[in-house]
Amino acid sequence: MIADWSHEVVLAATILSWFIIGAGLAQTTVYLLQLVFAGYALSKRPPVARSALLWQRYGDIAPPIALLVPAYNEALNVVESVHSMLALEYPNFEVVVINDGSKDDTLQRLIKAFKLVKFHRPYEEALAHQPIRGLYSSPMTERLFVVDKENGGKADAQNAGINVCRAPLFCVIDGDSILEPDALMRAAQPFIDDPERTIAVGGTIRIANGSSIEAGRVREIHLPRRLLPLFQVVEYLRAFLMARLAWSSINTLMLVSGAFGMFRRAEVVAVGGFTKGSMGEDLDLVIKLHRHMRDKKRKYRIQFIPEPVCWTEAPETLSVLARQRSRWQRGALECFFRYRSMLFNPRYGRVGFLGFGHILIVDVLGPVAEVLGYVLIPAFWLLGILSAEYLLAFTALIFTYGVCVSVCSLILEEAELQRFPRARDLAVLTVAAVIENFGYRQLNNFWRVKGWWQYLRGNQGWGEMTRTGLGAAKK
Amino acid sequence: MWYIWDLSILLSALSLAIMLLLIARRVLQERRGRAAADQRRQVLTALIAFTESRDREALKATVLGVPAGVAIDAGFEFIALLRGEERDDVLVAFNECGLPARVARQLRKGNIAERIHAAEMLASLGSDDASANLLAALAQDRAREVRIAAAIALCDLGSLPLLGTALDFIGVAGQRSRRLIELFRRFPRSRFNELAVHASRADASPFVRAAAIDALAHAGGFGFADFFAGLTGDAAPEVVAAALRALGLTGHGQAPAILKRAMANDDWDVRAAAAESAGRLGLPELAAPLSRLLDDEVWTVRYAAANALRSFGQPGELLLREIAASEVSRSQRTASLILAEGPAA
Repeated sequence: MIADWSHEVVLAATILSWFIIGAGLAQTTVYLLQLVFAGYALSKRPPVARSALLWQRYGDIAPPIALLVPAYNEALNVVESVHSMLALEYPNFEVVVINDGSKDDTLQRLIKAFKLVKFHRPYEEALAHQPIRGLYSSPMTERLFVVDKENGGKADAQNAGINVCRAPLFCVIDGDSILEPDALMRAAQPFIDDPERTIAVGGTIRIANGSSIEAGRVREIHLPRRLLPLFQVVEYLRAFLMARLAWSSINTLMLVSGAFGMFRRAEVVAVGGFTKGSMGEDLDLVIKLHRHMRDKKRKYRIQFIPEPVCWTEAPETLSVLARQRSRWQRGALECFFRYRSMLFNPRYGRVGFLGFGHILIVDVLGPVAEVLGYVLIPAFWLLGILSAEYLLAFTALIFTYGVCVSVCSLILEEAELQRFPRARDLAVLTVAAVIENFGYRQLNNFWRVKGWWQYLRGNQGWGEMTRTGLGAAKK
Repeated sequence: MWYIWDLSILLSALSLAIMLLLIARRVLQERRGRAAADQRRQVLTALIAFTESRDREALKATVLGVPAGVAIDAGFEFIALLRGEERDDVLVAFNECGLPARVARQLRKGNIAERIHAAEMLASLGSDDASANLLAALAQDRAREVRIAAAIALCDLGSLPLLGTALDFIGVAGQRSRRLIELFRRFPRSRFNELAVHASRADASPFVRAAAIDALAHAGGFGFADFFAGLTGDAAPEVVAAALRALGLTGHGQAPAILKRAMANDDWDVRAAAAESAGRLGLPELAAPLSRLLDDEVWTVRYAAANALRSFGQPGELLLREIAASEVSRSQRTASLILAEGPAA
């Protein structure tokens, strides 16, 4: 049948197919490499068992930390979140909630719950941000401060928090997230072990949907009952346990999640803080830190450690998830093109080659090549332009390697961390790791291509993130 | 291209097979975990009973009746709550049951986390051969975190080798850890001289020297004031800043002159340390250089200087008010900001 088509058509189809398969091969190779690196890193760094031991070991020498919590229209969760943050087990920390001009009664709820009163606190105006309307403190606890400012977006609010805070380290966390009680102590460990070189540390984000939550704490861990958040559990395992741990082990970590990341204040101020208006302000900041430290030829470490855990609510509906994924895609593209001069630039070493190479393969080319493949490869085969070999190779790269990578992430989790409490959970996740490659993965790529399109059209909207509230919905 | 397909099938099948094995392992672990929790409860109950009855044989029977790992974990947590004779009695029982030998084995054979924990437990159990085992770990363990934990445990047992030797064992990479601060703070008074010698060694890392100065300042007291004053002329800014902060704790006859000189230093951390110490010592004669620091280019220095002025009481407040009422400048803004700062609610 191939002979029926002109040489030019076959040649064009072959080149296109090779581009698609080549992109898939590159992506799969990156994932397999990451698995090897992550497995090695985990085997070298077994988890510290109990938080009581950590307190005993590090309690006296733990550096002060400011917990920055930007809040925009978070009235539903904010009081419970702040209560849980104030109950964290860490000797020396302050919680700075930044009300970013919320339209709902976020500030009023805080004022009422914590009997806040206005006060003055001198601070360094090191970073630019929208004007601050007032600072509040609470007679109930000396650890809590609230910054009320005009709306300027998440990055703007975080910059205001950085200005106001006084600790040498700060930790950013989303207002609707829940930190494990020992998360700060665990995340601070690299800053204790290597205080001169460590400039940023990221921890694990886990999905709380389905778990039982009381008084701002995750009391019992359960898997989500709905399919969509269940797939995201597998996705997060891949992202955190495989990708971040792998790149962290060779100091090429490109992303410390804005939902839970700890930074040294001085370096963040030196790079100008979070970039205002950025879709991926967390990725943007880490790239700036890499660039700054390498330009200054300073030794540094940006680390991911799996033990500190922050729980978050995953989107449960297709429309909300679609908006989130398109936004993440725009954020990745924005950062890639903003700092494109770092790509394969020998001056930036591994960050330029591996870190940016990863963004190029996985975020820039990956979704486009994959979606093209879904349409073209089966079409070429059905029309008899290409042989079944191409179809099989594409199927292998998308489906079977996809299953392998997802299940291997789960293997890493179970072999080294064992954070899912029941054997039944593992069985459910194994099934999810297989079937997410048939439908969910394709949807995700479609949303990412949509993100590409929005990026090209200059769409800068965040989209509405509808939340049910962690404490309310899952008791 | 068939190899892409064949390899993918092979790898996927392999990963699924491994996962199934891990699930089976977990089922077994769940059963064992329940048994271990019961045994742990037994040990804790026996320990509580022992504190009342002092029936050592009954305690030993319970400890020997459960796996050593369970007994060690539960026992270590429990003895952290005990003091004096009661604690000594429990330790004797543990020693007679051979638990320290088991912990020593964990120090040699466990993973990094287990080895660090074993070093801490050996210091608590205080058996006859604890020091020998910890010395071996300090000298030979391949992980610097374990070597530091062994050094801290040895310090608690009073068996730490000479500081220089211990730091050599810990290695250059380990000498960046803040855990060294903890090691130095546990130093017995009789060995403060070693800390002083190390703090004055120009070839040692500034971080370690600063940590040694900090430990001496907190525990050594005024006896080291001359020593700190001497170090304020050091070439390493980190050491100078630590020495200035130490002077702020101990005080010294020459402190005003030393601090005044330091306030003009090129390094901002040194200037900030000098301002902090001037405030802590309450030296109103330094009001003039401190008010100049209100115009410093670094916020931390300006804030430390303003706070120092405020700590002088009425004369400092008056000076700040005067500056706050003057023409708009960086000093004026710093002074007005610090004056506006009320106590938090």
